[in-house]
Amino acid sequence: MGIFNKLLSAVRGGATEVGEAIVDSQAIRILEQEIRDSKKALNDAKTGLTSIMAEKMGVDRKVKDLGEKITEHETYAIQAIDKGDESLALDIANKIAEFEHELTIQQGIRDGYDSKVASLKKMIRQSERNIQAMDREVSVVKTTAKVQKANDLASAKFSGSNSSLRSATDSLERIKERQQKREDQASAAMELHADENGDDLQAKLKNAGIVNSGNSGSSILDRLKKQKGQS
Amino acid sequence: MSTEKLAQLMKDLAENQTSHGISLSVEMFDTENKVACIKVEDREEFPIYMTADEGQILCISYLFGDEQVDPDKRTAMVEAMLMMNVSIPLSAFSKIGDQYIMFGALSPKASIDELLHEIELLSDNVLEAIEAVSDYLKEAA
Repeated sequence: MGIFNKLLSAVRGGATEVGEAIVDSQAIRILEQEIRDSKKALNDAKTGLTSIMAEKMGVDRKVKDLGEKITEHETYAIQAIDKGDESLALDIANKIAEFEHELTIQQGIRDGYDSKVASLKKMIRQSERNIQAMDREVSVVKTTAKVQKANDLASAKFSGSNSSLRSATDSLERIKERQQKREDQASAAMELHADENGDDLQAKLKNAGIVNSGNSGSSILDRLKKQKGQS
Repeated sequence: MSTEKLAQLMKDLAENQTSHGISLSVEMFDTENKVACIKVEDREEFPIYMTADEGQILCISYLFGDEQVDPDKRTAMVEAMLMMNVSIPLSAFSKIGDQYIMFGALSPKASIDELLHEIELLSDNVLEAIEAVSDYLKEAA
């Protein structure tokens, strides 16, 4: 089973009741155990890699030694031929043949080790990545479990004994109303501000004699006197 | 999970919120000091829970529970959410237990500006999202 599948089973099985842990802690424990097992397997693989590399170094040495021995004996063989000792030369050549046979075998072993080391390294990298991923995911699952608990507490606080759980759309409506109210207040304040500015302007205009200064007490009195005079 | 990291983030949020023109109340939510609760002014109904660990900073807001979803429209709603997911800036839908959530994740190395931006956007997205899926929810009683 892949990591995602395991995680799914860990976060599934959710309980619906407020206050109850939503994450299947048993599944998390199992997952954590698997991470521990994977880490142990990883360590074993690393130890395995170390010993294989040590063995390979031994074989490397053998290959090198054999190569040197072959070169050395080739020199001997040529010396024997130079001295005209055909039978000694043949003995040496036979020895070289033995060395070469052994060399082929050791090189085969070395190639085997090479590919084994490469695949082990690849495997180690892979499982290191897997363990990291699992660690991360488990951490997130545990985090969300904590958040879940926090939210349950919060909604328990929100909903009194009588009211049912708050509905999302109701909450949204309330927020919108509040926002509208705030905007209304802001625009009212703006209007008020504008009015005040407008008053200032009126006053200035009056002072400048551009706008009729309106009915002052004395002008009314004048008017009344005129009316009285006419009647 | 790093409690120091979370405490530092909370401090930074409290100090820098005004420069972003939003008003937040930030408090530690649980006794283990693992979850911070962030409330955006006027939107207290949808608090944002923040946690931080070595891997990421996680901001989660709860939308609604299964019980608020119209059972006949549930599949359609989930599909709509899945389709919306990609186009929602920085936030994504998910579900914890029987609760639908919206969340955003940041690198633990994210700046305080980025975190504030994330919180602001998540809060906006939550309202937009509820509006968008309200047709799939049960009529409010």
